Amino acid sequence: MNGLQKRRKETIGVFLGVAVAVFIATVVSVCVGKYSISIEDILAILGGSDEVSVMSRKVFFTLRLPRTFMAILAGAGLGLAGSVYQIIFKNPLASPDIIGIAGGANLGAAVAIVSVSSSGMIGIAMGSFVGGFLAVLGVMLLVKVTRSRSTATYVLAGIVINAISKAFIMGLKYFADPENELAAMEYWEMGTLGNTTASKVMAIFPMFFVGFAGLLLLRRQIELLSLGDNECRALGMRLRLVRTIILLLSTLLVASVISITGLISFAGLIAPHISRLALKRNNSLTMCLSGLMGALVVLAADILARLIYSTELPISILTTVIGVPLLIYFLCERGKERVI
Amino acid sequence: MKQVFRLENLSAFYGNKTVVKNVNLELNEGEFCGLLGLNGSGKTTLLHAACGFISMKGACYVKEKCCTGMNEKQRAREIAFIPQVCSLEGGKTALEVVLMGYNAWLSLLGSPSAKQKKKALEVLERLGCEELAYQDFGELSQGQRQMVTLARCMVQNTPVMLMDEPDSALDFLNKHIVLEKIRDSIKTNQKAGLITLHDPNFAMEYCDRLFLLKQGEIIAEVHMGQDSMEEIKEKLTLIYGEIELFKNGTGYLMSKKKK
Repeated sequence: MNGLQKRRKETIGVFLGVAVAVFIATVVSVCVGKYSISIEDILAILGGSDEVSVMSRKVFFTLRLPRTFMAILAGAGLGLAGSVYQIIFKNPLASPDIIGIAGGANLGAAVAIVSVSSSGMIGIAMGSFVGGFLAVLGVMLLVKVTRSRSTATYVLAGIVINAISKAFIMGLKYFADPENELAAMEYWEMGTLGNTTASKVMAIFPMFFVGFAGLLLLRRQIELLSLGDNECRALGMRLRLVRTIILLLSTLLVASVISITGLISFAGLIAPHISRLALKRNNSLTMCLSGLMGALVVLAADILARLIYSTELPISILTTVIGVPLLIYFLCERGKERVI
Repeated sequence: MKQVFRLENLSAFYGNKTVVKNVNLELNEGEFCGLLGLNGSGKTTLLHAACGFISMKGACYVKEKCCTGMNEKQRAREIAFIPQVCSLEGGKTALEVVLMGYNAWLSLLGSPSAKQKKKALEVLERLGCEELAYQDFGELSQGQRQMVTLARCMVQNTPVMLMDEPDSALDFLNKHIVLEKIRDSIKTNQKAGLITLHDPNFAMEYCDRLFLLKQGEIIAEVHMGQDSMEEIKEKLTLIYGEIELFKNGTGYLMSKKKK
């Protein structure tokens, strides 16, 4: 029992540590940027005081708050979805790319940029959301056509859909106007939180919530999917139905995020790894921690994206720069212990 | 004895190939039976078909209920399955693995209750594995893993247990320990068990009846308590060719006949 109590304490410690780090990053994210807001100003705004300048108030409500909230949603969504993919595909390299969501969303955004560029960011967000969803439906259709029930078929179908998406994107890029459309496509692929507005966040929040809450509610089924297909069936899991529900929920989650932010590389891959290494477990707690860890990585990346250069950097550069050393650190710390 | 499990004219297929042909067998309450055959004879396929993993023709009954049209959840309340090795590599405690056995009895969003957790711990204790409960499944030995998988199968609480060479990754002593626990569990809880085994000596020691499978068909049935030594030898010869059979206490030992 001592071992159990020690493990519980460690788990609580890890969760508390990451939660505190997320809180600090949230405060810093609201404060920093081209127009800085002090903590006193933030407290005054939240307290309803009139002593804060109109500019600070405007920056707080229209820029920082939606952006910070979106960074948390994006990180939590990608982290949770990444963890779910790695569990159900039994593949440590699994991330939203694995079943074609990222590829489909990228193609959807590219089509929107080329064909309805006048409608701006809303059109691109819609295009990427629809593209991501269609890609996953394409994967499911391919799996149905092959009549195979194995997990590997989903991964192979994802590779096929990704390859097709890439081919179309290359075609679009080739014919795109290099100054406007091509630049927009490249920029979208690198991701940014700079285009976040409160209305956009409100628009995707219901879908994000359904995906996020649904996956958390199905955590026991997701854990079961870490077993082989036949064992799942023998334990009474309606495999095809449950897997389809989980894939659709995770697609809803990821598509709702990247429709606003563009592609954010590495967050969905690294957050589950760090969580698993920190907890030395691979269960529903790891999924929750992965969400928190994702939020931390994306928040930190977004803060740096605003600070380290005169113009804002694409977030994918920084999620990678932050994520890789973290992963190496945990691998070195825990490498000798057996973890999955 | 009351019949618990029955296969009627069961045929199973991999693509267009018929691997199991018109198998008929029945298991009674408290009976532990073995399925013997050489590699490729269709032992695993037969179990997979009965569990609904692959396409089949014929019918499978548990206590006169036809399982053929059941979905996975309904079937898992009637038939439990132990694979050669549990596919889980680790990251979960042994207790979490055992609790997976309740899945068929829970709703899609439900979780095991405190009472079910207590019961799972009791089952581990009954199998002498209580100290493993909070250890990582991936850190257990193969023998311990099979015990945990057996505990999972026991909490699933089905009338029928089908086992696909659960001893295949175990050493000599662990084979005896695991098979003894399986037999005890089946006898104590009045279940019906069908196990595929490679070693006829283990099958003869632990099973009440043996079904001998050759090229997808049951060619003989050995009643361990009733058949004479000559009858057993004659039937085993149909599969293993020239053999010697020796008396070993109340049981038998088989070896290949030396030329």
